[in-house]
Amino acid sequence: MEKVTLKIFRYDPGKDSQPYYQNYIMELEPGITLLNGLNKVRATQDASLAYRMSCGSAICGSCAMKVNGHALLACKTQLCDLAKNGLVQIDPIGNMEVIKDLVVDLEPFWASLRKVRPYLVPDTLDNPELERKQTQKQFLLIDDVTTCILCASCYSDCNVLEVDNEFFGPATLAKAHRFIYDSRDAKAYDRLEQITELYGVWDCTHCGECSTRCPTETKPMARIEEIRQAVMEAEITNNNGARHVLGFRETVSKSGRLNENYLPARSVGFFNIPALLGLLPVGIRMFVKGKNPPLIHKSIEKVKEVKSIFSRLKKYRKIKPQHITKGDINRLDEDSISERKV
Amino acid sequence: MYSHDVVIVGSGLAGLRAALEMAGHLDVAIISKVYPSRSHSGAAQGGVAAALSNMDGDSVEAHTYDTVKGADFIGDQDAIEILCSDAPRTIIELEHYGCAFSRTDENKIAQRAFGGHSFKRACYSADRTGHALLHTLFEQSMKRGAELQIYSEWYVTRLIIEDGICRGVVALDIKTGKLEIFHAKTILFATGGYGRAFKITSNAYANTGDGITAAYKAGIPLQDMEFVQYHPTGLYEHGILLSEAARGEGGYLINSDGDRFMSKYAPTKMELGPRDIVSRSEQTEINEGRGAGPKKDYVLLDLRHLGKAKIMERLPQIYHLAKDFIDVDAIKDPVPIQPTAHYSMGGIPADNDCQVFLNETELCKGFFAAGECSCISVHGANRLGTNSLLEALVFGRRAGKKMLHATNEMKFSPVNEKKEISAAKLEIDKLLYNKGSEHLASIREELQETMTYKVGVYRNANDMEQAQQKVNELKDRFTRVKVSEKGKNFNVNIQEALELSHMLEYSELIVAGAKARKESRGAHSRDDYPNRDDENWMKHTLVFRQPDGSCELKYKPVRVTRFEPEERTY
Amino acid sequence: MVNCKYALFTGCVAKGAGRELLTATEAVCEKLSIELAEMTDASCCGAGVISEDNPMAADLLNARTFALAEEQGLDIMNICITCQGVHNKTKNKLDNNPEYKAEVNLELKRISGKEYKGVVKIQHFGQVILGDSVLEKMKNMVVRPLTGLKAGAFYGCYATRPHECSDLDNPDSPDEMEKIIEALGATPVDYAARLKCCGFPIIMMNKKNSLALSGNALNSAQNAGADCLITQCPLCHLNLDAYQPEIPGEYNMPIIHIQQLVGLALGLEQNELKMNTHIVNPAGILSQFA
Repeated sequence: MEKVTLKIFRYDPGKDSQPYYQNYIMELEPGITLLNGLNKVRATQDASLAYRMSCGSAICGSCAMKVNGHALLACKTQLCDLAKNGLVQIDPIGNMEVIKDLVVDLEPFWASLRKVRPYLVPDTLDNPELERKQTQKQFLLIDDVTTCILCASCYSDCNVLEVDNEFFGPATLAKAHRFIYDSRDAKAYDRLEQITELYGVWDCTHCGECSTRCPTETKPMARIEEIRQAVMEAEITNNNGARHVLGFRETVSKSGRLNENYLPARSVGFFNIPALLGLLPVGIRMFVKGKNPPLIHKSIEKVKEVKSIFSRLKKYRKIKPQHITKGDINRLDEDSISERKV
Repeated sequence: MYSHDVVIVGSGLAGLRAALEMAGHLDVAIISKVYPSRSHSGAAQGGVAAALSNMDGDSVEAHTYDTVKGADFIGDQDAIEILCSDAPRTIIELEHYGCAFSRTDENKIAQRAFGGHSFKRACYSADRTGHALLHTLFEQSMKRGAELQIYSEWYVTRLIIEDGICRGVVALDIKTGKLEIFHAKTILFATGGYGRAFKITSNAYANTGDGITAAYKAGIPLQDMEFVQYHPTGLYEHGILLSEAARGEGGYLINSDGDRFMSKYAPTKMELGPRDIVSRSEQTEINEGRGAGPKKDYVLLDLRHLGKAKIMERLPQIYHLAKDFIDVDAIKDPVPIQPTAHYSMGGIPADNDCQVFLNETELCKGFFAAGECSCISVHGANRLGTNSLLEALVFGRRAGKKMLHATNEMKFSPVNEKKEISAAKLEIDKLLYNKGSEHLASIREELQETMTYKVGVYRNANDMEQAQQKVNELKDRFTRVKVSEKGKNFNVNIQEALELSHMLEYSELIVAGAKARKESRGAHSRDDYPNRDDENWMKHTLVFRQPDGSCELKYKPVRVTRFEPEERTY
Repeated sequence: MVNCKYALFTGCVAKGAGRELLTATEAVCEKLSIELAEMTDASCCGAGVISEDNPMAADLLNARTFALAEEQGLDIMNICITCQGVHNKTKNKLDNNPEYKAEVNLELKRISGKEYKGVVKIQHFGQVILGDSVLEKMKNMVVRPLTGLKAGAFYGCYATRPHECSDLDNPDSPDEMEKIIEALGATPVDYAARLKCCGFPIIMMNKKNSLALSGNALNSAQNAGADCLITQCPLCHLNLDAYQPEIPGEYNMPIIHIQQLVGLALGLEQNELKMNTHIVNPAGILSQFA
């Protein structure tokens, strides 16, 4: 039978001065999952190897680990799909401290979750003895996001968290989405206001790691995009992120193309003197090199067509919570749903 | 030593629900060997039962009758009445907590058909209902903030009961290896089931019956341990659960000839017969040579006629499990399945308020049990699908209510800290320093094979005799087990050894109870005694631990209120 | 010689703050006999920003662009990996959802009389170079092998993620850019951050984090011994190059568009490729090839 080498990150802070890798050679049985492979290593070669596992069926979220550099669930991944030239490198998930081997301290992950009121804040009940009414379409709006198993794969591979652990992170933003888009939650506006602040929804670079690593249908990046749509819908625009979107829309709708001389100042705010000054150095550097965008911004040929796209914007379907205004109760635009499932 | 008014062991549905009832009123702590969202309640898929009548003319009465019948008339009917009549309120409560449910055209909670239920009674959230409920309660627990302290990744190794009073637990901090006493006025065990003793199982690696074993070792009897449910649709070889919702939504079971074999065994209900009957039917097909595959050792779950849209909207998890684990596309091909050990009907005997029995009649002061680890008994010899989530929620809340009252009237009873810690330490040291060389994983594997093949879907005296001998042999070998990792922090080797000691302990009790019960009833099905015997065996098994470590079987009557036993056909 | 023609989608940056990219692309394609018809009427792709306001508006902009290329009877060549990723995402969405495609087309027709049929292919410059035996011919045309130049490929998020919108064979461990670098005689440098985010999308929202991300990339490449980084996306280029003096840490890492690297090897001069417009002057590391 074909052999495979598991090259596994080992570290026991009680014993080891620094981490190291240990290789385990095993037979590559057909159909064996990575978790079963690890269990085999523990059973037959090294019982000291530590990792978390529980359900073995991709619903509990315990066994996330980095394999060949990317987070995944060990229980649902076929070992044969991972082996590259007979080698599989296994590391603990990232952006958290290692407790032992593949076990990390998840506390920052849970702490992040608690930042966004991760529970339903309902409006008053019409009848406490009956269920609240929700349409199947409204349910489907939160169907994907409620598949989250809190495995922290997204948290592990999030690029922004690598440089700033204050960032809410993908799972937490998905949790916020879960309530913003729940027709039964009364605090959508407050939630949106909170996450447009620093470390919130605009701090995501859209690098796509979270959705790529997500083992469920949660796909945080898609949910972040939907939160941003809701922010724009709610017209919570006193922040760089929303101004950036508005500025983008303004310049593209006007000329068909992005005006790079306009957008930065629009994003930070035309009256935000310190931020405007902050833009100066890069502007000057580029000007000196002749790299500044042309001062006269040219439109595309048939800009009229693009203009009419934007003039009809209101008519276009989008997924959004409806009527999110301050203090109002969040209800849903039912006609907007079909897009999610396309 | 940590001290809390109330200590709840286990963070699944029952534990969390009980905690929510008490948090804010009492100093409540939850201890769990996993993080709450990892609890195995989350693996329940198909639904949670309640006679909401959102789809048809269901009634609490019908739910009660179905459950009594499903239990093969060995469930306690007063407890079942509580379960079923509190079900609608429970679902509404969870909806109000924010659980996302699939909906009807009238925007009410949608309900689907399920095995053994005579109406569309299963409320569901696609095919991850347990996950939706668990995360909802986890969200509610986060809402309580500091009112509810959760000790995650602490492993309870001992329950302290003295003079009929429960006083606390000893727990191992998995991260540091430190043993600590948790002193409490009242303790709730909500520690889940014991299905990990089987090779083919839908249970999590964590479901090693730690709670029931700790209770048993502390002098609490265990009830009806022989009743282990085999779920008909375990993913072939993995045992992973494919929800009964697959059949509720119209999936077929077919054999190698492509026949819907359930027509022979449950001609009216077909695939929606109760789990014990469907599992036996599958096993009979396999035993008689009509299994599929090269080894003819599985049957097939056929969803193809449901079409892609329905599969992806109602049964997405099943689709992904089949795809990821055995690379079968359920839209295009039937999925290989086999019966898998699924649910533990037996457990810690408790009354309708979850107070644990010390013997046939007396209660243990300050000790409560709820959820799968308990035996109240609402499931009797066979649980109906969707009644387990319901039980955890209904009785979790009842436990909380009762404990709220009881705890206020209790004081902390003294605990001999030194003695308890050194006893716990001794248990661990015996594993670490016994100088033996028995291979832990081999003992575990042999145990699991024995339980699946000798105490499985079909049982007989001969097989069980062999099983008993094997378990004894393994218990003996285990005294010489080798635990090579001696380190303190996150020592999974120690943990798996402790878990295996529990599995060995309760496996003996499963075999003892099953061997003694000379009849077939519900999930306990014997070739040598194929019929139910109400005259001699309509009673609960209670197994007591003797000072020498052996077990003694006693029995107690079933509480019948409304429904006299009748023949069970579907 | 290779004979092929593409509709060139320049994107906004190559007409703005990254005009050297367009110059280099045109010069290199001329060398390779790849004919380009610039899509002067195409709009911005939306850059994943318009869709945060209204996804259908973004899809309409791109469907219009696709329709324009189809009218020309040409496939699209992108020179910005963000445009490429956004185009791929839109194309996936439309091609896999006939109902939605019909709805978008209805609106497109109303606005411009155009229709997106679904036949246009969309490729980034890098993919074009690698395809249809262009690579072999390009190798044969190398007159100035970049021997000894240690170049780190910086792929850009949109090149690899999400996987379903990626053109790479193995988006989690691609080797496409390395193949090009090797073909030009240079030595590809493997470094940890080659698939990471440059931070550009949040430069206006959180400059500190944005530049920290760039810094991580530079640091990783520097530690691995890279002389320079090669980009496929002018936005990565902006953050890594134009902002480099503001990035905490000591860096002097030239950032080079992949078109420029190809151009150099094919014998074009640095000023023909407008290398002199970079903030971090690459002249030092390139002097040996002058």
